[in-house]
Amino acid sequence: MERYVIIGAGAAGIAAAATLRDFKPEAVITVLSIDEHVHSRCMLHKYLGRERDVEGIGFVAPDFFDKHDITHISCETATRIDTAGKTVYFGEGYSLPYDKLLIATGAGFFIPPIPHFREAPNVFGFRDLSDAMKIDEAFGKGKRVFIVGSGLVGLDAASALCERGAEVTIAEMAERVMPLQTDDYAASVYQKAFEDHGCRFLLGIGASDAVVDGAGNITEVILSTGEHVPCDFVIMAAGVRPRIQIAVDSGIAAERGITVDEHLRTSAPDVYAAGDCTGLSGVWPDAMDQGKVAARNMAGIEEVYEKPYPFKNTSNFFGITMLSVGRLDQTEGAEVLVHHTPTEYKKAVVKDGKLTGYLVLGNISNTGLYLYLIRNGVDLSDKLDHLFQLTFADFYGINEKNGEYAYAR
Amino acid sequence: MKRIMIDPAKCDGCKNCSVACMEAHRTDGGSGVYTLDLTDPNNISRNRIVSDGKGGYDPIFCRHCDVPDCAGACMSGALVKNMENGLVEYDEKKCAACYMCVMSCRYGVPAISPDRKRMIKCDFCAHLEEGPACVRACPKGAIEVKEVGEWSDM
Repeated sequence: MERYVIIGAGAAGIAAAATLRDFKPEAVITVLSIDEHVHSRCMLHKYLGRERDVEGIGFVAPDFFDKHDITHISCETATRIDTAGKTVYFGEGYSLPYDKLLIATGAGFFIPPIPHFREAPNVFGFRDLSDAMKIDEAFGKGKRVFIVGSGLVGLDAASALCERGAEVTIAEMAERVMPLQTDDYAASVYQKAFEDHGCRFLLGIGASDAVVDGAGNITEVILSTGEHVPCDFVIMAAGVRPRIQIAVDSGIAAERGITVDEHLRTSAPDVYAAGDCTGLSGVWPDAMDQGKVAARNMAGIEEVYEKPYPFKNTSNFFGITMLSVGRLDQTEGAEVLVHHTPTEYKKAVVKDGKLTGYLVLGNISNTGLYLYLIRNGVDLSDKLDHLFQLTFADFYGINEKNGEYAYAR
Repeated sequence: MKRIMIDPAKCDGCKNCSVACMEAHRTDGGSGVYTLDLTDPNNISRNRIVSDGKGGYDPIFCRHCDVPDCAGACMSGALVKNMENGLVEYDEKKCAACYMCVMSCRYGVPAISPDRKRMIKCDFCAHLEEGPACVRACPKGAIEVKEVGEWSDM
C-alpha cells in the first residue's frame, strides 16, 4: 500500500491531504504537524479578540481526519528527512517511512536584528495559534502592546487587542499603514479608524533598540528617533520567511524558499513542496492551490503548476473593506485614474490599454473580475470609458460544454 | 448535479429573476413583491441582468463552478463545493468576512453584506422545495435548471 506523508497542517497541507484521499482511496496518508489543532491563520485575530474559540478558527470540520481516514500526528516537529531511505524523522527518534512526501511547513515570522529583540521572551509573532495563545497570556499581565509592522498581520493583531482595551502602539517603517496594499488615501482611512479605536501609529519610524529588565523582557522600545516607548510586550509583524530548515538539513535544494519545479517537485526524488515554504506566494488561496496541484502530481496525475499571481488582497477592519490587486505603486509610464465619491474610492492603474493595478475602498461587491483582468493582461483599450463599472457582461461568454462561463469578448 | 443553464438570447431584461431572488431571500418576515423594499441593501439580488449595449442582455448568475475560485480561496471553510449535489454551499457561521472569495471569483459574482459580516451569493434556494425562485419567475425560459452530469474537470 502506498504511503503518503505530509509535513504541515496549514492551507497547503490540508488541501493536499483531502485531494490525495480523493485520488487514492486505499493509500495510507499521514499528516505530521507542530500544531495541535488545525486552524486558519487568517482567523487568529478572531481568537485573540475572543470572538471565536479554537474550534471556531478551524477551516475543516473537526472530524476531517477521521472522515478521510488520515492519521494526524500532532504537536510533533519533523527534524530530518532521509531522502535516500525515504523516511521522515520526528520528535525524539520516531520515524515515518514514505513513498511520496510533501513538505508544507509554511512560513515563520521574522525578527530583524534589533538588539534584544531576538532573545527577549516577551517578543511574539502572530502566525500560529501558539503565538496567539502566548499573546493572550501576556495580555493578562499588561495591556501596553508595541507592534512592529502595520501590514495585514500587524493590523489583525492590533484590531483584536484594541477591541479588548489594549494600549497599542504600531511602528511602521513606511510612510503609511499597510504599505503594500494601500495608496495614501486608503491608508489614511484605515489609520483614522484604528486611531479612533485607540491605536497610535509611528510612521516612517523603526525600532532600533530596547531597554530590558533582569529577565531579558523588553520594557521599553527605543525608536530610531531616540524616543522611548514603554510596553508590556512586543508583537513582530515585519514580514515572514519560508520555513526551509528541514529541507536545508536534509540536503534538499532551497534558496529563499524550497526550490520546486513546475510539478512542485523538490530536488529530492518523490519529495514535493507546497505553500508558503516554497516562497512562491504568501496568500491563502495560492497555498491551497499548490497543495492540490502537488497532491495530484504525487498521485500520478501530471499537472503543471501555473505561476501564482501574488499581488492581491482584501481587508476588512472595523467594517471598512478594501480590495487591492496588482501593482498600485508602479505608475511609471502608466495612467492613474481615480473615482472618488463620498462613499466610494476606486483607483485604476492603466498601461498600454491594460490594467496593472486596481483598488476599491468601500463596497467591493462583484470586483473579482479585476484580478482576472490584471493577472491575464486582458486588453481593455475599448473599455477604458467605463473601467470602474466593468462587469462580466463586458466579456460575456458561455461554455457550451457545461454551462459555466468563459471569457469571450 | 444541477446547474441553472442560461440562454442569453432569450433574456429580455425584465429582471423578474432578480426580484424573485430578492423576495426569496428577504429577512424582514414579509412576503409578496408589493411589500418588498427594492432599495434596501439587505435585499440585494444574487443574480444580475446587465445590458450588452446592443439591445440584448447578459444574465450573471453564480455557476456553482466545477472548480470554484471562491471555495478555493476560502480560509474559514465557509464555502465548500458539495460533491454530492454539485453546489457551492456557504455556511455563514463559519465565515470570517475576509472577502477573498469576492476577490477570487473571476466572474465577479460574490457580493458583500451591508454589515460587512457575510458574503452573499446564490444558494440555489436551498430553503425552497420547489427550487430556485429565479428560474420559476423567468417568463422566457432563459434560465433553466438542468442536469449537467459529471464534472468536466476535477
